[in-house]
Amino acid sequence: MSPAEESTAHGNQTAKAFTLTSAMWFAFATTFGMIAAGYLVAPDFMANVEYIHFGRVRPMHVNAVLFGFVTPGLIAAAFYYIPRLLRTRLYSERLGVFSAVFWNISVAAGMAGVALGYSQGREYAELPWLVDIMIVISFGLVIVNFLMTIRRRTEPILYVSIWYAAAAVVLTACTYLLGNVVWKPDTGALAGIPDAILLWFYGHNVFGLLLSPMALAVAYYVLPIATRSPLYSHTLSLIGFWSLIIVYTHIGTHHLLQVPVPTWLKTISIVDSVAMVIPVMVFLINIWYTVKGKLGDVHADIGAKFIFTGTIYYFFVNIQGSMMALPDVQRITHFNNWVVGHAHMGVLGFAGVTALGGLYFILPRITGRPLHSRFLADFQYWLVLIGITGFSIVLTIVGLIQGQAWYNGETLYRTLPGLQPYFITRLSLGLLIMVGAYTGLYNVARSLYFNRGAAA
Amino acid sequence: MRMTPAVILVGVLSLLAAIALTMVYWPYAQQDRTPSEIFRARTAEEEAGRLIYIQNGCVYCHSQSIRAFDWDMGSERIAQSGDYIADEPIQLGSQRTGPDLSQAGGEHPDDWHIAHFINPRYTRPSSLMPPFEWLGTERIDTLTRYVQSLGLKAADRRMERQKHWKAESIKAYEAGVEANARWLAEQVPEGWRSIPNPYPTSAAALQRGHRIYQYYCIGCHGPIGDGMGPAQPWIYPPPLNFTTLTGREISGGIIYYQLMNGITGTAMPYFKRDLESQKIWEVGDYIAHYFINQSDANHEPRGIDAAWEP
Ligand code: HEC
Ligand code: HEC
Ligand code: HEM
Ligand code: HEM
Repeated sequence: MSPAEESTAHGNQTAKAFTLTSAMWFAFATTFGMIAAGYLVAPDFMANVEYIHFGRVRPMHVNAVLFGFVTPGLIAAAFYYIPRLLRTRLYSERLGVFSAVFWNISVAAGMAGVALGYSQGREYAELPWLVDIMIVISFGLVIVNFLMTIRRRTEPILYVSIWYAAAAVVLTACTYLLGNVVWKPDTGALAGIPDAILLWFYGHNVFGLLLSPMALAVAYYVLPIATRSPLYSHTLSLIGFWSLIIVYTHIGTHHLLQVPVPTWLKTISIVDSVAMVIPVMVFLINIWYTVKGKLGDVHADIGAKFIFTGTIYYFFVNIQGSMMALPDVQRITHFNNWVVGHAHMGVLGFAGVTALGGLYFILPRITGRPLHSRFLADFQYWLVLIGITGFSIVLTIVGLIQGQAWYNGETLYRTLPGLQPYFITRLSLGLLIMVGAYTGLYNVARSLYFNRGAAA
Repeated sequence: MRMTPAVILVGVLSLLAAIALTMVYWPYAQQDRTPSEIFRARTAEEEAGRLIYIQNGCVYCHSQSIRAFDWDMGSERIAQSGDYIADEPIQLGSQRTGPDLSQAGGEHPDDWHIAHFINPRYTRPSSLMPPFEWLGTERIDTLTRYVQSLGLKAADRRMERQKHWKAESIKAYEAGVEANARWLAEQVPEGWRSIPNPYPTSAAALQRGHRIYQYYCIGCHGPIGDGMGPAQPWIYPPPLNFTTLTGREISGGIIYYQLMNGITGTAMPYFKRDLESQKIWEVGDYIAHYFINQSDANHEPRGIDAAWEP
């Protein structure tokens, strides 16, 4: 038996468990998002239900998305490609399944904590202290499995996906501890302006050192296989990797350009935000040249189709991001729904869509059977794509309306009635995404457990 | 370059350490802990209110970060780092679904906030803020203490003012309808009192006035101007019943001035930021025409007719 077949025979339990985790939290997270969006359309709807009140359900939505849906989805793919790329078996499936179970318990505990009002009130670092520790342990378990698998590899050369995956989980465990100020359990925060600087150093590293590298790793793995083409350039991979680690970690303060933080920090963050075009374009050139002329193959594989779409969103979200870091632009875009649009383009359009692609790419390979339904997967693709594209348009428009009005001296209160049509549109588009998420959950569950397809 | 596990791990970890040192630890070590001129420590009750604020995610809709080019509430003072030194965690916020609250303390008296927390649409009819009635009176009171401390020493000054005029307005209200109306008018500077509404009443202007009334006033003064809007039970002195002003020579100028500046101490807010001149005159004429039943619009002295008049 080749290692690959052997691994399938051993069941790929870990990849399966993380796949299910991701699909499940995608459904929950969009439900929370719909509730939050519902409050912004009809604030008296569900008025006095404490546990899902806007200020609680919103961090539940964001944390469920980050730590329930996107990260586990990307990790599921990693648990598939790491052993394959290293020509070995996963260090321990038992540890892997345990880490998935523990991961779910941690995220669920986080949701319960925030719902019950134990939020620490720092964006992206809301989860209570105990949950912070559990999340770090979850990462720790994944790290052990990754690194031990790397140790017992039979393939001497490490492919670029491995670099990204290993770096992402290790660095995130560190910045998570730092950003959540775990050495101060009672508040989980520093005092004053340094708290904001630390928070956004960490907050931006969630996108820069966790979601981006894990998603790039999946793209680097899937797209060459799906198009049966060698990777365009090793040198570009190297430049892309090291520049991502260096540049992304410098830009957190671009969230604080209008706050009294030291000017040199702002300057560095602006310069590096523009310099982000280097890692981004290096990656895109590398991957787009790899698939050049093979778009038919990309189209034929539902996983690759999602992931290629993710790379397009990666392009847009980064161009937009670099622009938003310019102080003149930010004068209009800061504090309004433009940023919410950017956040959805990044976390859903790029990272989330890539995670979904990873799931659909590995599902037939870890179960040894075709997907339960390619049609449903395509259906989900279009629901999510229409939803997120609509989000981008609607939230950008409403952000511009808010930003221009405020800049010209309109009070916020006066702009409120004008926001309603856009918020209603957002809610409707959200319905598409949510239906997509539940469709995906059904398809994934059927593919994993009740798959009547013939074994491949 | 050959990427071995050691190169990757040692490489990324030392980069992260170096960058965290320069980008986070260095500004932390160098921070200026000097309090700003408005800084003071918060009381225990204010801290308890702040915890309610943190745990219920007010920060997702409200920033506490006034910028040099803001116009809305609080924009009289640009934020300084010395304002935040006791904030752990800091609540700068990244989204303004609602207004910035840096200087919210003392903008309104307590009764306005209570009514607003019970249901924001009582005092602000087109608000998007969800109601907080479920917090219960005790927590709403504690939360109000925190909101009234926002702005620290500057908030204390404004609160002094609110308390002083609250006592005065209650005295006037309890002295009866007649005395209250007189007291209210007397607070308006002399010059304003003799100015009639300079613009003629027209169907179109009344329509516009009606719309403004719906967006801004109806929750307190009520659909028929009798002061029985849904906010009424929480507000004292209660919202004015406009029909009690009939026959008391309330000029357009008095109404304009009260709308522009509000009546500090009572829940009646100022509208100088929300409404520009034409809108204030038009909503003023709307209440004069429909509720007081006496409008001095377009009376003498009126000067040269405005160019747009038909
Ligand atoms: C969904 C977003 C949202 C949430 C959550 C929210 N608010 Fe608001 N808030 C608003 C909006 C919109 C306004 C402006 C309209 C109004 O005055 O009601 C507002 C207004 C206010 C005002 C009045 C400002 C003024 O005009 O003087 C205060 C005070 C306030 N909010 C406090 C809070 C507190 C305290 C919390 C948390 C317990 C909170 N808000 C939660 C959206 C929100
Ligand atoms: C939060 C409740 C509230 C809102 C909203 C409100 N008012 Fe008032 N208003 C009051 C209260 C309270 C008083 C003073 C009652 C007293 O002292 O007897 C008052 C007094 C007034 C007066 C003073 C009349 C005089 O004789 O001096 C006018 C005029 C007035 N309101 C008009 C308006 C208009 C027009 C709006 C909308 C643009 C409005 N109010 C919105 C509560 C409110
Ligand atoms: C070149 C790369 C990027 C740059 C320069 C950039 C820049 C920015 C800036 C300046 C902001 C702050 C906006 C403001 O508050 O005014 C922001 C917010 C945000 N970005 Fe990016 N961005 C980039 C890529 C990404 C990617 C790839 C993701 C997701 C994976 C992402 C996710 C987010 C999110 C979620 C926020 C919202 C933070 C909040 O809650 O306020 N960004 N970005
Ligand atoms: C059903 C679909 C969805 C709806 C209706 C929805 C709605 C919302 C709402 C209402 C907010 C709060 C915005 C505000 O405060 O004004 C939000 C924030 C956010 N959502 Fe979603 N969402 C959906 C799906 C997703 C998905 C799938 C992702 C990621 C994969 C995502 C990522 C985020 C992020 C990162 C934020 C924080 C933005 C910020 O802080 O600026 N959302 N969403």
